[in-house]
Amino acid sequence: MSTVEIRNVRKSYGGHEVLHGVSIHIPDGEFVALVGPSGCGKSTLLRMIAGLEDISQGEIAIGERVVNDVVPRDRDIAMVFQNYALYPHMNVRQNMGFALKQRRVSRSEIEARVQNAARILGLESLLDRKPRALSGGQRQRVAMGRAIVRDPNVFLFDEPLSNLDAKLRGEMRSELKELHQRLQTTTVYVTHDQIEAMTLADRVVVMNGGNVEQEGPPLELYDRPQSLFVAAFIGSPPMNFLEGFVASGALVLDNGEQLNLPIALPAGDRIVAGVRPEHFTISAEGWPAIVSVVEPTGSETQITARIAGHVVRVLIRGRTDVKPGETIHLSTASSHLHVFDPGSGKRREIGG
Amino acid sequence: MVDERLTRASASHSRFARKFADLLSRWAFMVPAAVLLLAVLAYPIFYTIEISFSRFDLATFSAVEWVGWENYAHVLDDYRFWESMKVTVVYLVFALPLQIVLGFGIAFLINAEWRGRNVVRALFIIPMVVAPVVAGGLWRMILDPLWGMVNYVLGLVGLGPLDWFGDPTLAMAALIIIDTWRWTPFVILTATAALLALPRDVFEAAEIDGANWWSKLWSITLPLLVPIIAATFVVRWLGAVKMFDIALAATYGGPGGATNVINLFIYEEAFRSLRFAESAAMAVIILVVTMVLTALFLRGSRLLEERY
Repeated sequence: MSTVEIRNVRKSYGGHEVLHGVSIHIPDGEFVALVGPSGCGKSTLLRMIAGLEDISQGEIAIGERVVNDVVPRDRDIAMVFQNYALYPHMNVRQNMGFALKQRRVSRSEIEARVQNAARILGLESLLDRKPRALSGGQRQRVAMGRAIVRDPNVFLFDEPLSNLDAKLRGEMRSELKELHQRLQTTTVYVTHDQIEAMTLADRVVVMNGGNVEQEGPPLELYDRPQSLFVAAFIGSPPMNFLEGFVASGALVLDNGEQLNLPIALPAGDRIVAGVRPEHFTISAEGWPAIVSVVEPTGSETQITARIAGHVVRVLIRGRTDVKPGETIHLSTASSHLHVFDPGSGKRREIGG
Repeated sequence: MVDERLTRASASHSRFARKFADLLSRWAFMVPAAVLLLAVLAYPIFYTIEISFSRFDLATFSAVEWVGWENYAHVLDDYRFWESMKVTVVYLVFALPLQIVLGFGIAFLINAEWRGRNVVRALFIIPMVVAPVVAGGLWRMILDPLWGMVNYVLGLVGLGPLDWFGDPTLAMAALIIIDTWRWTPFVILTATAALLALPRDVFEAAEIDGANWWSKLWSITLPLLVPIIAATFVVRWLGAVKMFDIALAATYGGPGGATNVINLFIYEEAFRSLRFAESAAMAVIILVVTMVLTALFLRGSRLLEERY
C-alpha cells in the first residue's frame, strides 16, 4: 500500500497541452475518483500514473519513489481497463495468474492466490473458461481478479463499469466498494458518471478542461460546490440556475420577474442563484412556477416547471396532486441557496 | 361473395406471376456467370479427367479410346514423375516456412514506430507487381556465375564463386530465394494488417502485469496471431503448389531436373513431348492430392482458431 503524489503534472501532445498543472495528494488507502466530462484529461492522468503515457512536466510519486522514469511493470500497480483487456487466448485462471507468473512466483503460490481471488469475486466455477465464454459482468470480475491477485500498491480503474448495463453497474458498484473496504488498497478510479464517483469514493476530484476544478469528500462537493461547473456536474437531476440582478432583497430576472431571496445580498450585483431540485419545497408563497410535466416514480416525484420561461426541476419525496398547467410556489431554505458570480463562475460565500 | 372469390383468384394469379418474374430475373442475372464458369472451369477439368482415362489421338487432337487406369499406371511407373514430385516437396518444405517466418518476423520488426516506415512498406510491394517471368530473368542475371551481383558480393567476403544454376542444390536454393523474394512481401502485408488489428489495451495490461518484450511476444502476440499465421499459410500453400513461372524463367527445371517442379514437368510432357494423356493423368493426381492436403490444412487452421 502506498500514497500517490501528483505534483504540478502537465501533459502535451506536440505543443497542444491537455493537462495544465494538476496536483493531487492521495493518502495511503484512500479511494479517489477522478470525474469529469470526456476530454477533461482524467484518463490521461490515470494512464500517466500507470506509466502508459509520458509525463511532459511535473512529478508523480508512488510511495516515496518518483516514478516518472519507471516502466509500468516496476511501479507495482494494477489496472482495470474499460474494455477489460483480458488475454483472449488464456482461461480465467491463466488470466489472473499471468502477472504472478511474470514475477516468477511459485506455481503453488499462484494457484493459492488465484483461488483466493476467485472466491472473493465468485469466479470459482469459471476458472477454466475463456473470456469469450463469459458475460460482460463476469469479464469485469476477471479483470478485477487479475488486479487483486497482484496485491499491488495502487489500484487504477479506467471507467470499469461503463460497458455494463444499468442494473449490473449498480451491483458491481457495491461490490467494488465492499472490495475496497476489505482490501484498503489505495485506489484511483476514473469515471464520467458522477453517481459512481459520489457513491464509491472517499474523495472526488472534479476535472474540467485539463484542470482540477474542485476536490473534496463527495458530500462537500454536493453541499458547497465551488463553481458553476461543479454545481452543475454533481447531483442528479442537476442543480437549477437562475441569473439576474439583486434589488431590494429579491432576484430580478432579465424579463423583470422578481423572486424573493431568503438571504441579504448587496443590491445591484449580478448573480446566478442555484437551487438543487430536492431542496425546493412547494408552499403557499414563494417563486411562482407553471407546471409543465409531473413524473412520479413512486418514492418521489419529479416536477418540471417554468419560472418566467426558465425550466426548473423540482424533486419532492412521496406523491403530489400537482397537475400540469397549475401554478405552484417554490421556496427554499437560505442554507440551500447557492450563489455564484456569473463572470468567473465562482461560488460567492454568503455571510451569516 | 363472388367479388371476393374473384379478387382472391386474381391475387393468387398475380402472386404466381410475380414469383415467376422474380425467378426469371434471378436466373437471367446468373446465367452469363454460370455459362462462363462452366465453359472455362468445369469443362476443362472434366475434359482433362476424360483425357486422363483415354488414348489421345494427335491427328484428330481428341480423346479417342477409353483405356481405364492405363495412363495412371504409366505415370506412377515413371521415375521422372517421382523425381519431380520430390523436387516439388523439397521446394514447398523450404519455401513455405521460410516465407511465413520471414514475413511475420519482418512485419513485427517494421511495426514499431519509426520514420520512413510507410516508404519501406510501399517498397515491399514491388516484388509482387513484377511479372514472375521477369522476376526469374532478373534473378538469372543477379545470380549469374560470371558477372552476377551476388557472386561479386560473395567474392568480396572471400566466398565463391558459386555456380548457382549449375549445381543441383544451389539451383534449388536459387529457386527458393527468388520465390521468397517475390512472396514474402505478401506475407508481410498480411502480418502487418494482423499486427495492427491486435487490441492495444491487452498489451498495455500485459505491460502493467510485468511482461517484458520477450514474454509479450511469446505469450501474447504469437498466440493471438496463430489463426492468421495458419490462414496465411493456407493461402501461400495454394499459391506455391502452382509454382511454374519462376522455375520456367530462372532454371527451366535444370540442371538435370533438379528444379523440375511438377507443374513444369507436366507442361513439358504435354506441350513438348505431346504426351497429353499421361500429362492429364498427372494433372488429375496433383489436383486430388492438393485438394486433400488443402482440406487438411483448412481443418487444422480451424482447430487452431478454436484453441486460441
